[in-house]
Formats: sequence, structure tokens, C-alpha cells
Amino acid sequence: MKRVPLSVLNLLHDRSRLLVAIAGVAFAVLLIFMNLGFLGALLSTTTNFYEQFNGDIFLMSPQSLEISSTEPFPRTRLYQVAGVEGVQRVMPLYSDYVLWKNPETGISRAMFVYGYNLQDPVFLMPEVNTPEGIRILQQPNTVFIDRLSRPEFGPQTTGLVTESDRRQVTIGGQYSLGGGFAADGTLLMSDQNFRRYFAPRPLTQINMGILLLEPGTNPQKVKEALRALLPADVNIFTKAEIIEHDSTYWLQTTSIGFIFGLGVLVSFVVGTVIVYQILYTDIRDHLREYATLKAMGYSSWFLFKVVLQEAALLAGMGYVPGLIVSLGLYRLTVNATEGALPMQMTLFRVVLVLVLALTMCSLSGLISVRRAMTADPAEVFA
Amino acid sequence: MKPASSTAPVDAFLEESAATASAVSIRGLDYFFGQGELRKQVLYDINLTLPKGQIVIMTGPSGSGKTTLLTLIGALRSIHEGSLQVLGQELRGLGNSKLVEVRRNIGFIFQAHNLFESLTASQNVEMAVELVGNFKNKRQQAAAMLGQLGLGERVSYKPASLSGGQKQRVAIARALVNEPQLILADEPTAALDKKSGRDVVTIMQHLAKNEGRTILMVTHDNRILDVADRIINLVDGRLESDETLSHFQETHDPKKLDGQMFIL
Repeated sequence: MKRVPLSVLNLLHDRSRLLVAIAGVAFAVLLIFMNLGFLGALLSTTTNFYEQFNGDIFLMSPQSLEISSTEPFPRTRLYQVAGVEGVQRVMPLYSDYVLWKNPETGISRAMFVYGYNLQDPVFLMPEVNTPEGIRILQQPNTVFIDRLSRPEFGPQTTGLVTESDRRQVTIGGQYSLGGGFAADGTLLMSDQNFRRYFAPRPLTQINMGILLLEPGTNPQKVKEALRALLPADVNIFTKAEIIEHDSTYWLQTTSIGFIFGLGVLVSFVVGTVIVYQILYTDIRDHLREYATLKAMGYSSWFLFKVVLQEAALLAGMGYVPGLIVSLGLYRLTVNATEGALPMQMTLFRVVLVLVLALTMCSLSGLISVRRAMTADPAEVFA
Repeated sequence: MKPASSTAPVDAFLEESAATASAVSIRGLDYFFGQGELRKQVLYDINLTLPKGQIVIMTGPSGSGKTTLLTLIGALRSIHEGSLQVLGQELRGLGNSKLVEVRRNIGFIFQAHNLFESLTASQNVEMAVELVGNFKNKRQQAAAMLGQLGLGERVSYKPASLSGGQKQRVAIARALVNEPQLILADEPTAALDKKSGRDVVTIMQHLAKNEGRTILMVTHDNRILDVADRIINLVDGRLESDETLSHFQETHDPKKLDGQMFIL
């Protein structure tokens, strides 16, 4: 027969206290999940437009911080590597900010502009890859506007004419891309139009070089080959690497990492205090019984294990409902923001929070266990 | 400071204890609470031998050091001066883990039952069986012990649904299930009514007589003094008297009091 499961029975004995404890742990777990969820969602909105970029390798100046604050570098770098084995196509991308006037209010706002050679399939959005779309973009002073631009930029009707940096501009169509953290709205235009709006900037200076590889080529291999060819005035990223690079920039240079990190820390502390309170009360109520166990010949180590087991059980029992409610709230958030905040549960996060919950409960167990360890069996006789 | 020549206790059982091995043997035990300036002596030069199979009742006014002596014998405190042998083991100078080992051979019965409310009667007793590593038939062992104490019907009840006397009997079952050679009891009947208290001491008497267990019991309960083989009286940390039951009864029986002493 097995040992009497003292920790389980002690926890189950007072059901209402157990429910409070589970609710406490679940709440802390939920808070941690939500903080991590918002952090992850915000970070992914900073970079999710890269998914629509039709490239496997990206070249950027080492002085560029992220996509919206880039330093131009010579287009020659792109042509230098066009012949490397595995590279199917090299495509220059120009980008800059332009002021866009809302035709209804007359107020101008900074809009982020991508310019590219219309022969290059730089973007994956279907609207800009049809022959009709390309034909429209070829017209002078004509742009496509991002449907996900903020409403402050005004109506997005095709054919609408407004002003942009003292030049007339006509909306030729729409697409969905998103501007991440840096841009409230984006425009697409041909490189020829880009030359017009940003004169006297020459097209020989590009902001980003996009390389499309032959299907089945290992980007990492090509990256190594490129590194051997190119001087140090360009950085080379695979798609995953540039997403990581931009995320890291936003995480480290803005306060969002700090805010949600603090949120996680506070939730952790709240959880620790709740579990401590529960365990401590439990120990205090059973102090005479624990002391009796010691008088009977149980070691302090045994009591230590009982309290830690109770802590681990609380962690497990609180974690599961916490996780389930979090999954529901994630879905709710996605629905409520119509996909603008893509909260997604990752396996890494599931494991991370489980580890955090266990740490949280063990920590409170360790703090409260001292009381049980110091239970003096001689006092039971008093 | 050494106490002035303490009144030498009359060890009525000195001869007998020399013949049979003793369960407890105390020589020249002094005990202090506190340290330095606050050091206060609570036990003075205790010499006491408890032979096997004897029921010894310890009486004395509160604050006389009865409980302290009990916890010292129970290896719950460590002694500093003198000699204290329990079941053949010298306790002086033993480390904490050794003391824990000694305790496993002693059955403790407390004034309060100190049962886990979350465990059934049987599980509470099983906690003691597990100490000696007997996991295989601990349930049977616990049930048998509870049965002996008249709780055969109550093995799977939790303490909340047991009466005071029943709870105390569960606590006794817990103390006795490992068949300890020495049983220490602190006011085991204080919380019980007359009948339950009598039941409890009858069980103890039975154990001492039939199975040779040594029982040291602290009590103020005059109703149960008759089970004692010997009554020792502790006053202000000193053993005042150590007498057989009959002698105690003679000297304490109100009928035998000299009527003259009430005449002014």
C-alpha cells in the first residue's frame, strides 16, 4: 500500500479554502498569460507584414534600425550577388515617409511609402500582382493605399485625388498589408513614381534588397555565400532573422517589453503571495499536528516535502483552469479587435507559464515551510 | 548554583529495578531554561528509574517541571547535565536525527488528540505505522489496533464525526500501534468524561500488565490514580516523594486523617 497522501488530503479537506487557492493561482496564471499574449501579439504586429514580402533573404544597411528607419545603401550590392547559385531574382525596395493630406479634413499625416520596380513580384498581395493592378500602378502619380491604414488618413476610394508633399496623388486601388509599429498607414507606388515624389533622391540608393531564391534552396547556405562576396556595408538576413531583428528592436527600444514584463512580474508576485497565504494558514492550523508528527519520529524533511507537494498540487490545479480561460480570452481578443491583435498561444508560452506557476508555488512553499520546520514537538505537551 | 542537598527520593523499587532491565534510568539530571542572565533551573538533581511493565503516575503542582521531565524522557528536548537513558540508549549528547530515531520507539499521548482532521481514524494511525516502514499491511494493523480500542466500527470516520473519547482512543491507537516499549502520556484523560477516561486508563493498564509496557503518565485526575503501580510527586523541580499506590492511599485517604489535627 502507498503512503497516506497527507498533502492531497490536507488540501482537499477544506474545500472552500482549496477553491480560493485554485482561483488565486488560476488568476495569477491568467494574468501572466494575458501579459505575455499582449506582448507577443504586439510584437507580431510589428513584423507580421513581412509575411507578405515575397523574399527569402533581405539585405539592409548596418545602420538601419528596422524597416521604417533605414539607411540607403548602393543598389550595386544587389547586382553583385544576382549571379550567386540559388538566387532566382534580386529586387530593390525603396521606402520613405511622405505627408498625406486627408481630403476631408485637410490635415496631413506621415504615410510610409514603398516603391518598387513593377516587374518585380516584391509583394504577395493579389491586388498588386494582377496585370490590371500593375497597369494602374504604372500611371504617373498613382498609388495603392493600405486598407489597414488608420481612418485619420481619410477615405480610400479608388479614383480619389488628394495631395501628398505638394504633389497631386490619385488612389488607384487598395491592398491589405499593415504598417507595424512605425507606420500608421502605407502606400505602394512604382519606382518611377517614387523618383517623382522623393526627387532628387536617385534610384541607385536602395533601402532594402530582397532576394528570391530558387525553390528548395537552403537560405542559410546562400546567406553564407553572400557574406563571402559582400563588404561589411550590408547586413544579410533570412526572413526569420529579419523578423527577429525587428522584434528585438521594438522590444528593446520601446517600453512595451518593459510594461508587459512588469505585468508578468506583478502577476507572479500576486500569485506567490496568494499561495503563500493559503499554505501559511494551512500550516498554522495544523501546527500541533505537524509537531505531533515530529514527536512521533517524523523528520523535518518529511514536513518539508508535504508542504512542497501541496504547493506543486496547487500550481497544477490552478494552472489548468488558468490556461483554459486564457485560451478563451485570447480568442475573444482576436475577435474583438478583428484580427488586429493576433493573440496566439504558443507551445513555448504554455511551457513557460507552467514553469512560472510551479516556481511561484514552490517559492511560496519555501517561504511558508520554515514555520512547519520549526514546529517544536516539545510545545505540543505544553 | 547547585541546589542545596535535595531531599533524596525514596526509591522504593530500587531492588526490583536492579533485577529487571529498566525502561528509563535518570541520574543526576539538572535542566535549565534560557541562557546567560535569564538562565533558570527547572529540574534539580532528578534520580529516577522506571522498570519495565510499570505504570507510573507523576503528579505535582503546575510549574513543577512535570511536562519538562516528560519531554526530556521523550527525546523532544536535549539534556545538558546528568544522565538520561531511555530504552538502553543514553540521550545526552545525541544529535537531532538520533533523537528522532529514539522517538520512534516511544508512544506519545497528548492532552489534545492532535489528529489530522483531513485523515480518517485509520489513516491517522497508519501515519505511525509508515514510520517503521511497514506499508504492506498497515491498513490491517491500524484496523486491528482500533478494533482493540473498541473503534472497529469507526476506522473510516474522520475526527469531526467522532466523540471526544473516541478521538482520544484514536490518538492512543496511533501511539500504541508500533508497540512501543515506553509510553508517555500527558493528561490523557483531561478532556474526557468519567467513563471515557476510565476506558482509556483501563486500556493502558491492560497493556502494562499483559505486554510489559512501561507507562509514565502525568495527571491531575484523581479518578484514575488507582491504576498506578507507583506515584511520584514533583515539586519545584525536585522529586518530593516516590511511593507505592497503597502507601499513597494511606497517607492521602481523608478517612485516615487524624481527627485531632482539625481541633484547634
